[in-house]
Amino acid sequence: MMKRSVLSRLLFVCVIPSFVVFAADLPEHPRDLTYPELSFTMPDVSRTALDNGLLIYFREDHNLPVLDFYAIIRVGAIYDPLDKMGLASLTGEVMRTGGTREQTGEQIDEILEFIGASVESSIEQERGIARMGCLSKDLDTVLPIFAEILMQPEFRQEKIDLCKKEVLESIRRRNDQPGDIVEREFQRIVYGDHPYARPVEGEANTVVAIQRQDLIDFHRRYYVPNNIILGIAGDFDTTEMSARLKDKFGSWERRDVPFPDLPDLPDESVPEGGVFYFPKDLTQSNIRMGHLGIRRTDEDYIPVRIMNFILGGGSFSSRMMSGVRSNEGLAYSVYSQFEPKRDRGLFIAHAETKSESTLRAITLMKNEIRRICEEPVSEQELSTAKDSFLNQFVFHFTTTRNIVEQRVELEYEGLPEDYLDTFCDKVSKVTRDDILRVAKKWLHPDSLRIVIVGNAENFDGALSDLGAVHEMTIRDYAAEVDSALKP
Amino acid sequence: MRTFVCFFALFSLLPVFAAESLRLDVRQFELSNGLKILILERHDSPTFAAQMVFKVGSVDERPGITGVAHLLEHMMFKGTQIIGTKDYQRELPLLKEIEAVAVPLSEEKAKGEKADQEKIADLQKKLNELQAEHRKLVVKDELWEIYLRNGAAGLNASTGSDYTHYYCSIPSNRLELWCWLESDRMRSPVFREFYSERDVVTEERRRSIENNPQGALWEQLTAMAFTAHPYQWPVIGWMSDICAIRREEVEQFRRIHYAPDNCTMVLVGDIHPDQVLPMIERYFGGIPSQPPPARVRTVEPEQRGERRVDVEFDAEPMVFLGYHKPAIDNPDQYVLDILQSLLSEGRTSRLYKSLVLEKQIAVQAKAYAGPDKYPGLFIFVLVPRSPHTAAELLTAFDAEMEKMITEPVEAKELQKVKNRLRVDFIRGLETNEGLADKIAYYEALYQWEYVNTLLENWEAITPADVQRVAAKYFLRSNRTVAQLVKPEGGKE
Repeated sequence: MMKRSVLSRLLFVCVIPSFVVFAADLPEHPRDLTYPELSFTMPDVSRTALDNGLLIYFREDHNLPVLDFYAIIRVGAIYDPLDKMGLASLTGEVMRTGGTREQTGEQIDEILEFIGASVESSIEQERGIARMGCLSKDLDTVLPIFAEILMQPEFRQEKIDLCKKEVLESIRRRNDQPGDIVEREFQRIVYGDHPYARPVEGEANTVVAIQRQDLIDFHRRYYVPNNIILGIAGDFDTTEMSARLKDKFGSWERRDVPFPDLPDLPDESVPEGGVFYFPKDLTQSNIRMGHLGIRRTDEDYIPVRIMNFILGGGSFSSRMMSGVRSNEGLAYSVYSQFEPKRDRGLFIAHAETKSESTLRAITLMKNEIRRICEEPVSEQELSTAKDSFLNQFVFHFTTTRNIVEQRVELEYEGLPEDYLDTFCDKVSKVTRDDILRVAKKWLHPDSLRIVIVGNAENFDGALSDLGAVHEMTIRDYAAEVDSALKP
Repeated sequence: MRTFVCFFALFSLLPVFAAESLRLDVRQFELSNGLKILILERHDSPTFAAQMVFKVGSVDERPGITGVAHLLEHMMFKGTQIIGTKDYQRELPLLKEIEAVAVPLSEEKAKGEKADQEKIADLQKKLNELQAEHRKLVVKDELWEIYLRNGAAGLNASTGSDYTHYYCSIPSNRLELWCWLESDRMRSPVFREFYSERDVVTEERRRSIENNPQGALWEQLTAMAFTAHPYQWPVIGWMSDICAIRREEVEQFRRIHYAPDNCTMVLVGDIHPDQVLPMIERYFGGIPSQPPPARVRTVEPEQRGERRVDVEFDAEPMVFLGYHKPAIDNPDQYVLDILQSLLSEGRTSRLYKSLVLEKQIAVQAKAYAGPDKYPGLFIFVLVPRSPHTAAELLTAFDAEMEKMITEPVEAKELQKVKNRLRVDFIRGLETNEGLADKIAYYEALYQWEYVNTLLENWEAITPADVQRVAAKYFLRSNRTVAQLVKPEGGKE
């Protein structure tokens, strides 16, 4: 309320005349409210392809003088050679920092940052991503850089060296946050020898082993137009843009990508449960429990998401949040999720609780996983979950950028073209029986892998009460990095 | 200046947009009880983002009840006399009984080693029984359920040192629901399940501070940098205070700070002011105003000499630095914003280029100018790359900062920063939520109109300004250095 007198002179402050209203006029409860129909039409996104197979989704939006490119490339750390883990991630990063034939990374930085533009590249576990954003007037400056980085990155040695140093420092710091330890170890325990178990940025000795030629070969193998889906959103003219895209990408040659075979996932028809305890001197235990999950394209995916909303995904409307947090005050953060991947993803339940309530929290969570497999959920729980999905649907379409990116993702995930058109219908049709069926099929309360990072000295009971206990040790990453760097 | 739509139509036609044209056409209203309403129309999607901003934060607390502003924010989700209960009248006596057991229990526990364990066990048992009895009358987290069922997205709240805000986005046909729920909890919240929620906050503290190296370091930096001003204590509160705060103390804090005249409502999206204002008046108009709460009186005395603090943690080294800087109403803040960008935003920024790219002794070097309501800190986060030490990194950092003070910044470099800030500003216009956040933020710290003059104020800054401001604040005697170090005696 500083400088009030000045303010009131400068501003148009409108004190609304009092309407004559009595509290009795207000509906007594929100259930008495009625709402006008929401007028909403799903926005169109156009789809086209260049002759070389580059797929393009696009939508014009002239509200703001900006535009964005978003590309997904079918590549990923899952294709890293075992002795060069971290190669994909390094390739994605140095594509950008290592510059192009004509320009060093630093020259590109100077050009882009002067006009507030950005071009970025990265490779994650199961996808490569390239982005570009700029003011629409700068398209002709930025697009050539984006195209060159995708097609002909130079991988300058000095940037490979720097990036490796940064990755090694990041590996050294892997034990700083207890949450990172438990996430990593949970993945490793569930996925065993499968590439999903491996850290995207690699291990110290494998990162050290990577050479420039490895990056060049890796890039050449996967970065071909027929292996890319591109989304364009914002302030552009479609006809002009088509010409530019043909000019920049038209001569890029199509080539078949020889994808390596991936090993099968561990056979989990009878998953093996157990407790995996990593001792660390903390006052709060970090807990993850779960097992293999579902594929994104599985026809059960939508009912599984609704089931999980009720179990632990629906924030305060979920059973885990109610039981562990709201009733007993045992955790700030407690939830479950089905994390989808191209192959089977993870079912994972999270909690952090003080050492003294570790077993209590785990038991409550396990009981909820069991209960949803044994009894049908209530009508009320199901309708809350379904209404939430249905009424939130409109938020999938709030910005043109999201609208386009979403279409790129859906195509990349291999979901049918009518996925969004049929989504609400599919949600509406889910029944209590469906929930019970998918819970029984996709949850295994008797064979959960329970991973705990914490201090068992202060636990509220014996871990052996939860199942077979595996005493684990946290890897000494600083020592691994030091030893990898020794000549 | 009538509608936002007009502004955009005009704006997109401009080949080169002048800073002057980038103004948000926020419409401002006030109810007779002092509730301020800020509305920005955008009709791209049938949704809107809503915020209730209370001008209160941890800065308004006192020792003994630190963390009360944040705990209050949690309690505001626990329902009202209508929401979250099967029978409020039957709850009342139980809530009193719970209080009569929980207070002595907290007091006994606070005695630490001298506590009577038998008494604790006895009281705890009674409390558990009463809570179980009470739970039968509770409709669990009904506020959340109603919001989620109606498609609310991003429902949450957050508490900072300077302000507390409650936010979500909703399909635009459900504006009345939002008015209903928010006016109801402003008028008559009920702090049920208080003692279990207090425990939740202790878990939040364990998670974000005690077992988190950055959190621990941050807490010690501010505790050391401020000797007098309330910015010295953490927003979440000291553990001893969280464990001892009583329900009555939270209620009292609410009565003082959660009146309509200490609140601003921000609505951005598919909303027509002519239609919504009568509705807002109907729902919120009857809530009584309160005398304005006292502003913080204490002024942090000038720092006389560098302060250093080590924080032991089983984690790799990291350094936080805090230089005292003025409040948002001082025009130097605009220059500090520029300095933040110049020093650490992007790959061409000074610190990144020098420490990460060239010397390769850091993996991170970030600056945060973040405006504050009261004089606060300009923060740096430095992360050394092994085998380089924190001390080595600090020396290189100091050399870079010295250049900032002794050599004027080149015109082109300054222009780059301005261009970038302008594009970032435009990007901030993309979503309802981003806009609502921005308006709420500046309104809470100072006045929302600040957002409309930011670009022109940044544009006006000269190399001489940058040099002057760097020389004024980036002094060793004005800073606190907090370092994360391995526990003595090596690894556990």
